[in-house]
Amino acid sequence: MKRIILTMFFVCLVAALTACAPRSAESPRTSGHPPLSEQEMLIACQDCHAQATSQVYQQWYQSGHGIATVKCYQCHGTFEGLRPEPSLDACAVCHTRQWEHAGGKICWRCHPAHTFEAGN
Amino acid sequence: MDRREFIKRTAAITAASYVGINLPFGLNNLALGLDAETWVRGTCRLCGTGCRLELGLRKGQPVALRGIADSRTNLGYLCMKGTLFYQLIGHPDRLTQPLYRARKDQPFQAISWDQALDIAAGEFAGAVRAHGPNAVAYYGSGQCLTEETYLFQKVMRGGLQTNNVEGNPRLCMASAVGGYLTSFGADEPIGSYADIEKAECFLLIGSNMAEAHPVVFRRLLKRKQENPAVKVINADPRISPTSRLADLHLQFRPGTDLALLNAMAWVILEEKLHDAAFIDDYCVFKAGKGDTIDLAAFRASLDEYTPEKTAAICGGNITPETIRTAARWFAKSAGTMSLWCMGINQRQQGVWANNLIHNLHLLTGQLCKPGADSFSLTGQPNACGGVREGGGLCHILPGHRPVEVEALRHQVEDAWGIPRGRIPEKPGLHTMAMFQAVNAGKVKAIWINCTSPAQSLPNADLYRQGMRREDVFVLCTDIFPTRTTELANMILPTAFHFEKTGVYGCTERRSQLTPKAVDAPGQAKPEVWIVREWALRLAKELGDPVIAKTVEPFAGLEPDVALPEAIWNEYTQKLTKGRDNDLRGATYKVLRQMPDGVQWPAATEAYARTGGTVRKFVRGLDPLADEEAKGSDKPFIFYGPAHADRKLYIWQRKYVGAAEEPDQDYPVYLSNGRIVDHWHTTSMTGRIPALMRANPYAYIEINPKDAARLGIAANDMVEVESRRGKTTFPAKVIEGPLEGMVFVYWHDMDEERMINKVTMDAFDPGSKEPEFKISACRIRRVSGPQALKPFIVTM
Repeated sequence: MKRIILTMFFVCLVAALTACAPRSAESPRTSGHPPLSEQEMLIACQDCHAQATSQVYQQWYQSGHGIATVKCYQCHGTFEGLRPEPSLDACAVCHTRQWEHAGGKICWRCHPAHTFEAGN
Repeated sequence: MDRREFIKRTAAITAASYVGINLPFGLNNLALGLDAETWVRGTCRLCGTGCRLELGLRKGQPVALRGIADSRTNLGYLCMKGTLFYQLIGHPDRLTQPLYRARKDQPFQAISWDQALDIAAGEFAGAVRAHGPNAVAYYGSGQCLTEETYLFQKVMRGGLQTNNVEGNPRLCMASAVGGYLTSFGADEPIGSYADIEKAECFLLIGSNMAEAHPVVFRRLLKRKQENPAVKVINADPRISPTSRLADLHLQFRPGTDLALLNAMAWVILEEKLHDAAFIDDYCVFKAGKGDTIDLAAFRASLDEYTPEKTAAICGGNITPETIRTAARWFAKSAGTMSLWCMGINQRQQGVWANNLIHNLHLLTGQLCKPGADSFSLTGQPNACGGVREGGGLCHILPGHRPVEVEALRHQVEDAWGIPRGRIPEKPGLHTMAMFQAVNAGKVKAIWINCTSPAQSLPNADLYRQGMRREDVFVLCTDIFPTRTTELANMILPTAFHFEKTGVYGCTERRSQLTPKAVDAPGQAKPEVWIVREWALRLAKELGDPVIAKTVEPFAGLEPDVALPEAIWNEYTQKLTKGRDNDLRGATYKVLRQMPDGVQWPAATEAYARTGGTVRKFVRGLDPLADEEAKGSDKPFIFYGPAHADRKLYIWQRKYVGAAEEPDQDYPVYLSNGRIVDHWHTTSMTGRIPALMRANPYAYIEINPKDAARLGIAANDMVEVESRRGKTTFPAKVIEGPLEGMVFVYWHDMDEERMINKVTMDAFDPGSKEPEFKISACRIRRVSGPQALKPFIVTM
């Protein structure tokens, strides 16, 4: 039973991470992430997500972001302010020019999240 | 498997343990604020890359940082540290008032600036009166603004008449300086980051740039992604995130890279891959302390380093064929760029290791052309600009002037309007000698600015003993409490980045201005104001008008802009003219206009507005080379001040191992380094919650074979013991370090996890840079996983 609950939990998390509509920062209660103790919050995101969301992890790990150590929290924030779908602001920190030229379009509509295959 | 078990299992690849604790910081979220009302252009406060960025302000408060796409340093990219350091402005832990205690076993008391400056002047003047000028010392930082370093050293040398002027770049860049001066005759790289986009082959050695210089690494990554034929050789005893980019990873026994580099030179000559014309035109071969030898003698000396012999020396995965492959790639590419950092510099043979990298470029002519350069990465944001160029080390005056050269001392004295002979002719105490003198009670008053030697010196416990002495007055200027402020008599609060104005000079000879954008908290002040006011009191205490003369040009200037600009003008206009780092064109006016500053030499404002000199010594690209050509028909003019013959030196340097090799008692190599989320002692990054979350503790990386042999599992607590001391870390079992070697991140203030209590304080005889990177230790499992608490020093 616990395994089923856990599986459902991470399925929900993956769904949340790939949701379409941009959202602002959310509290953990609404982000879909399971609660974590203070100590668990000290474990790096990718350490759990390598298994919990292995496909997403692999996409990230093999991407330019993964090789360049642009980690989960750089786009999604940390647990307390987790943004399952990042704010465009997170992209603009490094990709200012592209952000300006995108004219408000959502970056990952054309550059799939975590792989960023086109033009990363 | 329940959730807790899941996390426990996945924790096998992390150092974090899983028992509840309290965090030492507030739970601030990652704040993004691209709806900022205004943006102020400046430079990153952290590593030596020199990323340009903008600080976003809303209602006058900092809310975000973002990269500047037009910048030639970072092309708009920022790492997470560069994205978040705005959170340190106005941080609740900031030091905001002068603090003092007569004895170090007493609590600090808040005092006024007048009281603080009077006491500081009295203590330094008293030490000089009783014990002479060399009883006082200044220990600064590659994070200080150039204006700050320049003014401190001016007061110390010209005012107090001591060359006891040092800084933490001695711990990171001194061997690179020694290498550049002895090989090329001139400090600092010839080329630029722009060579990355032209290079066809990269040699990355002694650098985990994916974490230590992530934005530079990103440029390499982009180059490789867009041009898969580009070759990347990564030479490192440890497989690191940087290794992911490598076509060839050379994993050798620590310290044997000198043999490896000599072996590559052997292959280059044996297979006639060298550039005979370049060697004939520009190079001479040197041995010993500078004896000229010929190519045949040089080549014969390399016979000790055939690929077969060298593979046996290096161990690891090194084979004769991998050595040959690396040498061929290096020599045959249209442009080869070497990049290195502390793995090469922080060594007892650091200068020699630098020489041997330069040798490969000189033998093959991989220099002074697009994509070809021998490029030392810098660890701090202003080690090059402020300390190496501005006179921040005991043996150099501003403008790359060796202190022992009388004529150059006189140039400086004349520029300052002080009597000739005022600057002592002998270099002062280098960093390790300075803290040995503190231990011995010979230095009676030391000013430690913007750095924490109590944590960052090797064999730190030994040198903390001296700083604890009650007969040594320790003054710290800083923005946060540190392991060193714990040992101070006086702590003076300083303004942080964007709370004051000044220039940083990054790795590629580029000077960039960061203006004041917000007020410093409480009573915190810019260092330039502090030094000026202290010097005026010193002059009265010692009855010496020359001390007052050193700050006279800056009297009465407001400290936010006018004062640093006047200091910058004095330094650049009076002391860089005719020097290889001519910065006269890089005025504040020009620097304000540039998105990314100016690369020296840049003698005029008009030239500086082009961005300056991308490649030194190349006629048509470097005005100083054109000026110095004097009838030469050669395309390159090596006018560096250290080689009067204008030649580049190919050095015969034999392989010498580490100062402390593993033995029966301490059988394991110990190395240490950085991680992407933190910087140095964590006095800054440890106070940014997202960064502390990402890596809350230092940990020890252990090869799985060693772990199995010693019964160590992931997250077990492991004691690391050397002849200096012992520390304990959680274990990360990973195919990173070579078998027989462990690696520890050095970012942790916790008393039990400060790796420099264990590291070795032997140093290079030339550069005086300590061998942080290699020592011998023994390790043992002390327990299973323990509840650990992230730690930062607070008042």
